[in-house]
Amino acid sequence: MIIEAKNLTYSYGDTLAVDHISFSVDKGEILGFLGPNGAGKTTTVKMLTGQLEPQEGHAKVLGFDVAQEPKKIHEKIGVCFEEKNLYPRLSVRENLEFFAKLFGLEADFDSLLKRVDLSKWVDDRAETLSKGLQQRVMFARSLINDPDVLFLDEPTGGLDPISADAIRNIILSEKKKGKTVFLTTHNMMEADKLSDRVAFIHEGKIVALDTPENLKLKLGKRTLKVKMRTEKGFKEETLPLRDSETPKRTKELLEKENIATIHTQEATLEEVFMKLTGRKLEQ
Amino acid sequence: MKLSCIKAIARKDAVQAMRNRLVVLGLVFGIIFAVIYYVFPSTVEETFDVALYDGSSSQLFPPVGELEMEGMRIIFFTSGEEFEKAVEEEDYVAGIALPENFDSQLLSGKQPTVSLYFKSDVPESVRSSIQYFIQMTIEYVTLGKQPTDVETEMLGEDMAGKHIPLREQAVPLFLVMALMMEMWTISTLIVEESAFGTMRAVLVTPASPSDVIMAKGVLGIPYAFLVAVSILILTQSVRGNLPVLFIAVFLGALMTVSMGLFMGSITKNILGSYIYVAIPLLILMIPAMLIFVPDVSLSIVKVIPTYYLANAINQVLNSGAGLADVWKDFLVIAGFDTAFFVLGVYALRRRFS
Repeated sequence: MIIEAKNLTYSYGDTLAVDHISFSVDKGEILGFLGPNGAGKTTTVKMLTGQLEPQEGHAKVLGFDVAQEPKKIHEKIGVCFEEKNLYPRLSVRENLEFFAKLFGLEADFDSLLKRVDLSKWVDDRAETLSKGLQQRVMFARSLINDPDVLFLDEPTGGLDPISADAIRNIILSEKKKGKTVFLTTHNMMEADKLSDRVAFIHEGKIVALDTPENLKLKLGKRTLKVKMRTEKGFKEETLPLRDSETPKRTKELLEKENIATIHTQEATLEEVFMKLTGRKLEQ
Repeated sequence: MKLSCIKAIARKDAVQAMRNRLVVLGLVFGIIFAVIYYVFPSTVEETFDVALYDGSSSQLFPPVGELEMEGMRIIFFTSGEEFEKAVEEEDYVAGIALPENFDSQLLSGKQPTVSLYFKSDVPESVRSSIQYFIQMTIEYVTLGKQPTDVETEMLGEDMAGKHIPLREQAVPLFLVMALMMEMWTISTLIVEESAFGTMRAVLVTPASPSDVIMAKGVLGIPYAFLVAVSILILTQSVRGNLPVLFIAVFLGALMTVSMGLFMGSITKNILGSYIYVAIPLLILMIPAMLIFVPDVSLSIVKVIPTYYLANAINQVLNSGAGLADVWKDFLVIAGFDTAFFVLGVYALRRRFS
């Protein structure tokens, strides 16, 4: 186990942010940690990275206790934060050089900068960069020490689709190198694409933890979507695949309507989350 | 603590600070202080105003017009109250009071007593001149036959031989102001780490809160020290007992850094740091201002830590004081430094841990 959490609990005053959660992450695995804002994702990351001491329970990362030996953990992890936290008056290069020095490294940034497509902005001050570019610098910073474990908190937030895809590809390439990734996001498409397993966190509790496929099969509904031409344009009807009435209704539509398209549709993680919690991930 | 981390953070802070306009403005103040220094007069006033009180309207004492000589202006008072007020509160270097029965004592061959009042900072040479002037005037009146008794009273502490030009008096003020302004730099560096969220990023690396705090000190103490020494050099004020002077400046640098750490730890945002630091900054400058204006004496300023710093610097620069004279001040400053450093480090560790 690279990450192991048992009964992790944390409260801010009377508000229980994380409520006795337990999970583990294997080497080379990407665990998607999904939940809406305020569900407890960031508090969990803070505990796992030694920024907050668990009030109950315990956790180990790379075999080190997060409360007892945080500095041993910090040498081997990379953290990408949700909020933009670069030194604004330092250039991209100076920001990265500074963090490399904290790890005692004289890093060669060229390949890293190329990977995150930042070479053009290397001498620009962080305060002059767009939010998307700042996000890329922060992502590059989390890789600076070639970490064994990556904690990524909304790593593609604020990025354009092409940059977001580039970051996702880097995450997958890190996984191929055997790195473990703890990915918190409320982007279910991203979690679905990247994660080996996903954990849904809601009101501080893990309400489901499995592979995306299993979750969708177990808790989601596969449907048949029929799109029909009408005088005014198009209309659509969605039929549950496992319903006994569906074959009959499909036959009716085929006979009576001018069918444009007909296809089956997988359940989404969003739908699974809604089924489990009664609310949307984006809320 | 990791030395490599402290070095990296201090270097990063230096670059960040040099690119902060407000911090650079602090450096510019050093140059402004030096310019102001050269604007102040380098010599003391050479024409003295002397108040003369003659309650009995003496017929024998010469009229004012006959008494005046080069470099001395005599202002005549007939009211004792006005005379006392003028000598105590206004810009007269001395007051001469003739006794009520001056004429009758002289005529009866008795020895009249003339009272002389001096401001504490009147140079010895000026005092001697005025005393000589009185003796000569009485001899002139009595044709050299009548001795006169002259009583001398000092108003405040005797500062004979210690009269110093305004610009020299201003150096301790400039030094304390420049040192204390560095409090802004240190607190800004700390508040920015928190406000920009960079502290979180630093603390998930091998660097610890202690490394961050130590780095601010490693950068801040020599920085404040160098700013103060630059002012001493620019104002050509590197004089007196130099080891003691540099100890005073070093303790001042330590004071500004420890207070900066403390202020940075209790301030939550950048705007707040500018406002909250400004208030103690102004209070800390009061003792130095009072040394610059020595006529105002307020014992309450002794509760302000910079009183001891300003006093020690002033003593070393302007009175030739050595360690034996200022060690008590140093002890008090060191006490304040330690207290604020412990408080600042404790508050910062609590905030960032």
